[in-house]
Amino acid sequence: MWAYIINLAVLISINAILAVTLNFILGYAGIFSIAHALFFGVGAYTATFFAMKFGAGFLSATAAGMALAALISLALALPALRVRGEYFVAASLGLQMLAVTVFTEWKSVTGGIGGLTNIPPARLFGFAVTQPEHFLLLSLACLGLIILVIRALVRSSFGRSLKAIRDDETAAWAYGKNVAVIKTTAVVVSSALAAVAGSLYAFYLSFINVESFVLDTSIQVMAMVIIGGTATLLGPVIGSVLILLLPAGLSYLPYLPVTEIGSIQQIIYGGAMVLLMIYRPGGLWGFQDTRSSRKGGAA
Amino acid sequence: MLLLQLLINGLQLGAIYALTAVGFSLIFGATKIFHVAHGAAFTIAAYLFWWSNAVLGLNWLLAAALAVVAAVAFGLFMERCVYRLIQRHEGAFFTVFIAAFGVQIIVQNLIGTVFGRGFVSVTTPLSHSVQVLPGLFVAPVAALAIVVAVIGFSALTNYLSRTHTGMAMRALSENPDLIRVFGLDPGRVAQYAFAIGSAIVVPGAIFTAMTAGLNPAVGAHVMLISLAATIVGGIGSLRGAAYGGLLLGLAENLALWRLDPQWSEAVTFVVLFLFIIFRPAGFFGRPHAAK
Amino acid sequence: MRRLRFLALLAAIQWGAAAASAQDSIKIGADLPMSGPNAEYGELFGAAANLAVEHANADKMLSKKLSIQFEDSQATPQQGVVAMNKLVNVEKVPFVLSAFTGVSKAIAPVGDRAKVVSVNGGGIGPDLAELGEYFWNVIPLVNLEIRVMAPYLVQERGFKKIALIYVDDPAGEAIQKELKENVPKAGGQMVAELQVPRNAQQFTSIAAKVREAGPDLVFIASFGAQQAQIVKQLRDNGVSQQLASYSAFSSPTVTQLPEAKGALFPTQSVDWRAAGMSERVAKDWKAKTGKEPNAYVANYYNAVMVFVHLAQALEKSGQPLTGENLLKQRKANGSFDLVGGKMEFLPNGSVSMPIQINEIDGGAGKMVKGGTMAK
Repeated sequence: MWAYIINLAVLISINAILAVTLNFILGYAGIFSIAHALFFGVGAYTATFFAMKFGAGFLSATAAGMALAALISLALALPALRVRGEYFVAASLGLQMLAVTVFTEWKSVTGGIGGLTNIPPARLFGFAVTQPEHFLLLSLACLGLIILVIRALVRSSFGRSLKAIRDDETAAWAYGKNVAVIKTTAVVVSSALAAVAGSLYAFYLSFINVESFVLDTSIQVMAMVIIGGTATLLGPVIGSVLILLLPAGLSYLPYLPVTEIGSIQQIIYGGAMVLLMIYRPGGLWGFQDTRSSRKGGAA
Repeated sequence: MLLLQLLINGLQLGAIYALTAVGFSLIFGATKIFHVAHGAAFTIAAYLFWWSNAVLGLNWLLAAALAVVAAVAFGLFMERCVYRLIQRHEGAFFTVFIAAFGVQIIVQNLIGTVFGRGFVSVTTPLSHSVQVLPGLFVAPVAALAIVVAVIGFSALTNYLSRTHTGMAMRALSENPDLIRVFGLDPGRVAQYAFAIGSAIVVPGAIFTAMTAGLNPAVGAHVMLISLAATIVGGIGSLRGAAYGGLLLGLAENLALWRLDPQWSEAVTFVVLFLFIIFRPAGFFGRPHAAK
Repeated sequence: MRRLRFLALLAAIQWGAAAASAQDSIKIGADLPMSGPNAEYGELFGAAANLAVEHANADKMLSKKLSIQFEDSQATPQQGVVAMNKLVNVEKVPFVLSAFTGVSKAIAPVGDRAKVVSVNGGGIGPDLAELGEYFWNVIPLVNLEIRVMAPYLVQERGFKKIALIYVDDPAGEAIQKELKENVPKAGGQMVAELQVPRNAQQFTSIAAKVREAGPDLVFIASFGAQQAQIVKQLRDNGVSQQLASYSAFSSPTVTQLPEAKGALFPTQSVDWRAAGMSERVAKDWKAKTGKEPNAYVANYYNAVMVFVHLAQALEKSGQPLTGENLLKQRKANGSFDLVGGKMEFLPNGSVSMPIQINEIDGGAGKMVKGGTMAK
């Protein structure tokens, strides 16, 4: 039971990193990306590549993933600067679908649908992190660090500029903010940090394939952010806990007909998404925290 | 000859995409709702047609009518019981997106539970192609799809430019405030948009049931294509969405002329991405829609 | 409506199993897709495994009641690992039924670490033979099938020019590699090799490319709903040549498809009329589902029965039912009496079985060439 809980906790913390980093552009900058799984994937594949080919440790493999994700995210920033709202959704959709094709077809690096197996355990300061408990500590540390970084950014003048752009881009521009630079930076930071989740994921499962980095993953991360509460620090974390625990919890429901278990779980999952959006559209964490973070931002 | 064949295949597929995209675009234009559950309406219509025609043995017209009823009912249900409730709140764009996605998941799994998860198709001589020229095969359904798409589209534009509600719908997409000047209830107009937008997926759904065949996950792809076509065509332009769908259908098939099949989906999304970067207003979109 | 009755029946079995688990019972796990596009397979595999449980319980083969704990893998690696962790750590099962290459590769390390046996009866990628001691296959992997199929098609049936449509996953690629090697060896020629993405649904233009290549035979290497879509769209679009595939064609979706009639496909050799176990499974399966059993039914039935046989031996010698002991016992046991005859494990945990070739006839397929061992 203990090992099972640890396993879920690791997956939750990895997904929470994705949700928190997506929230940084979605909640604070108003950039609605459904290509987040792409950077998750870039982080995972790059870290794996460096770990398997050059025996890189956790830190250097992750750094490589972050650097590449940051570079690729410029491709996402480009349309983000030119178009808004629903156009950007479509642009990120296009990128996400392209990425899936590349992940599938570039078999020499990604292994295609067959994926990459036997990824060596993460090495940190000369120690191999093999115990699940230790890995949980590592991923929680990463999550904590990323939350701190984002908290600092959001509360800085950079964060205030972001929110100003989100609320009224034209006004922010008129006010003398360099909208292009600010938006690009936000996208690059968010994508690079999402790559950390990818690296953790690859080292943890020691198996990755394209199926973990598809559009559905992006949507799921977005659901975590929105269900938890956008533009809040802890909302996305709560959202990811909920989204991952829901199917796990549903699998304990007794007396479901065996072949329909999966469908019924999915129906409940979908239904929960709909009902939450109708009755708690600000997210579960949304109402209380928005006010306090606004106060914090103003102070 | 291969090129000509691919062109015809592209037209057939494009006609199906165009109809679906027009429905999506109509709804989006009139209500500003990003109806990603549009694919679910498609799935429901397709399965209902298959079930009543191939399983119950109903006359195809009756089956098609049932499919229309189901699609419209679904569209109205979404507007009434999901979107309208969410839109009580402010900043609902992405809340709507997630809710619609939830509905898509529910529908896909319900269909699987009720109708089975395997492949089904409607068997009809219409989908058997005949050799018209050496090496060139065309199915009657290809011509039918193109004709129905043209008729459906002209009927729709006619309706939009002639009737009171139709004009209101177009007005709503251009300027939501204008509608009150017309003295119409925006809620009613939204319902019309959902009813018509959902009904117009039915021909595409039926053709797909005949040609490609169905599985419960068929709606997801339809949704992606509709979304892409709407953007490529220019948000708010029905004509644009129709051409956008046609273009994507053609691109997907013509890509095979020089590329391996695994790249044909990528081609669709490269087209989408290029449009967004270089021509964000789409074919016929009004420039103000973009930044 | 038959479907509903089938489901009700499955529900009843599950109720019975759940009730039994309240007392003392032996539990094994199943990590199968129960939702999503591949749920059709989970449904089929699960029903076959349940039939084996029912038989084992009816015959009182074990000291306690046997039951299966089902978990949904959605045919994706991440869900598969979550489900596997639950089976291993919470349910503490010693033995897990697996399916799908991606899922199997992801869960194999979990099983290996926890010393829990995973058994695959559906995936056929050759890399499944290299997933460690605790990963077994009760299905002959695809390289064996192709090595029997290629000479048959080229030499015995005279299909010299072969066009291949294959899905871009490990199984598809393995088939492409094997065909490329074995077709020329048999004196044939590959005239087209078309790779399609897993989620593709439109094959009208693929059909055009196939026609252009002018093959004698089209080999389809896909699975699930997609392979049926390919068959239908090829037939609709002027491809009238002979069709062939690998064992994936034994799925009822294909065998009952009118367009697939006449297609050739290999499966492991199962004579359902053989007296004893095979006959009983065939009879009961038909009574339950109204369908003819196929190779997958045999595989998942066999997977459970392998456990039952090993557990019987362990119970007799008074050893606990752990994965470690199951592995030891399997190595000691040699061969197993199962549906389709004797089965023997190779040292790498996969099996070698005679392969037969079938033709789709509207039912479950009729055998056109009896069991042959791959060379």
